[in-house]
Amino acid sequence: MPISRRDFLVRTSGFVTVSAMVPRWAVKGAKFFEESVAADFASRTLVVLELAGGNDDLNTVVPYTDALYLQLRSRIGVAANAILPLDARLGFNPVMTGLKSLWDAGRLAVVENVGYPNSSLSHFAARDVWHTADPQLAVRHGWLGRWADRYVAGNGNPLSCTAISQSLPRTLLADNVGVPSFVNLASYQYATDGQYPADRNNQIRAFLVQNGGEYEVANTVDTLSQVGQDGIRSSDILQTVGTGYVPGGTYPAGTLGAGLLLIAQIINANVGARILYITFGGFDNHATQNTDQPPLLTTVSNGIKALFDDLDAHGKSHDVLLMTWSEFGRRPQDNGSNGTDHGTAGAHFVVGDAVRPGIYGNPPDLAHLDSNGNRAIQNDFRSYYGTILQDWLGADAAAILGSGYPNLGFVDRAYA
Amino acid sequence: MAFSPRPLEEKMTYFWNLHWTSGISKVRGVTLILNQNRTERQFAVARFDDLVLKISQDPAMLVWLDNWLNRAGRPNENYGRELMELFTLGIGRYTESDVREVARALTGWTVQNYRQSDDYNGATFVDNPAVHDFGPKTILGQTGSWDGADAIRIILGHGDSEGSVSGRFLGAKLWTFFAYEDPPRYVVDELRDVYVSSDHSIREVVRRILVHPEFYEAHTRKTWVRSPAEYGVAAIRMIEATSDFDVAARQLGTMGQILFNPEDAKGWDWGASWMNTGTLFARSTMVNTICTNRGSSGSRFDPGRLLAGRDASTAEKVVDILADRFNVADVSPRVRAAWVEYMNANDDGSRGNWTNTAANVDRKVRGLVHLMLTGPAFHLA
Repeated sequence: MPISRRDFLVRTSGFVTVSAMVPRWAVKGAKFFEESVAADFASRTLVVLELAGGNDDLNTVVPYTDALYLQLRSRIGVAANAILPLDARLGFNPVMTGLKSLWDAGRLAVVENVGYPNSSLSHFAARDVWHTADPQLAVRHGWLGRWADRYVAGNGNPLSCTAISQSLPRTLLADNVGVPSFVNLASYQYATDGQYPADRNNQIRAFLVQNGGEYEVANTVDTLSQVGQDGIRSSDILQTVGTGYVPGGTYPAGTLGAGLLLIAQIINANVGARILYITFGGFDNHATQNTDQPPLLTTVSNGIKALFDDLDAHGKSHDVLLMTWSEFGRRPQDNGSNGTDHGTAGAHFVVGDAVRPGIYGNPPDLAHLDSNGNRAIQNDFRSYYGTILQDWLGADAAAILGSGYPNLGFVDRAYA
Repeated sequence: MAFSPRPLEEKMTYFWNLHWTSGISKVRGVTLILNQNRTERQFAVARFDDLVLKISQDPAMLVWLDNWLNRAGRPNENYGRELMELFTLGIGRYTESDVREVARALTGWTVQNYRQSDDYNGATFVDNPAVHDFGPKTILGQTGSWDGADAIRIILGHGDSEGSVSGRFLGAKLWTFFAYEDPPRYVVDELRDVYVSSDHSIREVVRRILVHPEFYEAHTRKTWVRSPAEYGVAAIRMIEATSDFDVAARQLGTMGQILFNPEDAKGWDWGASWMNTGTLFARSTMVNTICTNRGSSGSRFDPGRLLAGRDASTAEKVVDILADRFNVADVSPRVRAAWVEYMNANDDGSRGNWTNTAANVDRKVRGLVHLMLTGPAFHLA
């Protein structure tokens, strides 16, 4: 198969250079790179936090003065006197002191009732809808993957889109941009024989060639080859980002805290990461929700606070925006197992200095539920995405998401 | 799976494991998970209806998808939804009303003796009429005072304009497992017909796949991305490593598949989604750990044994012997040349000459095996 190639240098393990081929995906994307965004946008990083399983936002951002709330949540409702109020109608779950302090500091926007028409109540369909920004599920690539193909493909940086995740999030799935994915940097390298360290470079050279994408077997080989190339190139850079790092925030124990610390280290290392994606799961609380959800909310709230404390301490928060998403909210009426079944709309958070703080949208309308007992959508999720694409990443949101989704205004356009 | 005398039975048990295994992190009782695996093996190629009934009454599944808490008056939809969406029909083949009604039919199927005192291992299935909803329900257009067994019968008997829905769903998924994704329509139609005419026999559907002419076409080969468990088994078998699975088991998590502990009800996604930079490195770590184990315990192999009785006098010959053994001989000439170059390379990268000495076998054959087993061609089967 014909492919353009030229030699380029790949550093491996910091002590040797080897030549390899420019992968074809890098060449293919290069034409877009020329029409890239203004330099002030190119310094910005978006952190995406996925709350997997469908977070029950009604017990997260609680309509604590709506009498219907405790009627519907007679088993698992949060008592009004414990709420951390945001305004006269909405307040945080009492465990969310970290996010509340970011709210008090004017660095947090709450976007209410986000979803899409005719919501799928399936986890897996809903998740794919959010990943691709296509309710018809006809688009294969992720919404940020499409952004990446348009704005960073061909820039030669293997870390433009990076996932702190065991699997590659479909949100970032692109044609021409690879996504380094890992949860632990210590093991994030191509292992070779410790008895013959000097033979390592010979191995890596051969490994890069065998990932050169020159097979005749199947297209899958191209995908696997790109993974191999991206792995070597990103591992080389990432191995040093934690060296001597002193965190400026107190991260919660567990995978989310460890992952957010990694994100802070990568941001501090100035390696050109534009999108940093992290997944945190466990929100599918069909039963015993008040045992299971508060610890998760605590971790999320304290984790985001720790990340921004850490970035502040290193003078790095200026160019960082964090957004959350979850595949759906949950049903207003609690079920018979002290949990909640699948719902539609949800509330999400945007954090950063560029945020225009406030609540975007009305409190959930619990008086008008649909035939499944679920809430109405107020803000289309493409408006939520589009506001971030347009005003934080400086991208053409309509080209990526389609037109007709109003900007919600929670990012300060004049921010610089 | 690596050493069973009945490999097809194990392969089908593994199919069900990928299809709907319950997660140990929520279920907690190890015995319950083991029993579910035994049920999958026992009914691996039985009537689909019998298997679905057994799984729907399986204590691990009842806990995993909350049906043990599903009670009349306040149903829990979790299992009823996934039963149709993930396990038997596929999304879009039922309505939200069907989800609610199936959940009502399944009320009362619960467990008893699920408790911490015996590490959650003592749970058994019980059909508790006291919490069953005896009222009339309409499931996929059929109305009656249905219970769980009725619901399963109706779901698996459901047909639309394209015939049996579960037959098409199961046939397509089994074809994907044995052959490739997105089977052609005529294949799915055939498998549906076999399913219907054999009274929902999994055995007959599998048999049809394995004798199907399309199954033997060249494009059917090397389309399946080995899952971490399959990858570990294949690597260990092909290098004739000791049967100790310590290394492979330890690495399964970072390779993206903790057996019996999927992240959610969907189990694991198949295909290329197994592979990303992190999971690739985890595969490399697993293979490297085995390849470089020169001790006397843990998974290890004898590199000299792979060349025994063969002419291994040149780098080219060693490369060809091993590429053939690992079924990766179809790589491009450039890749083969890179392997040869590796075998001949001195430490500083300059070109030397492979000779078949014990020292070179220890140094280079271990390295070559590791290279071949971590290349794109070996991740496919």
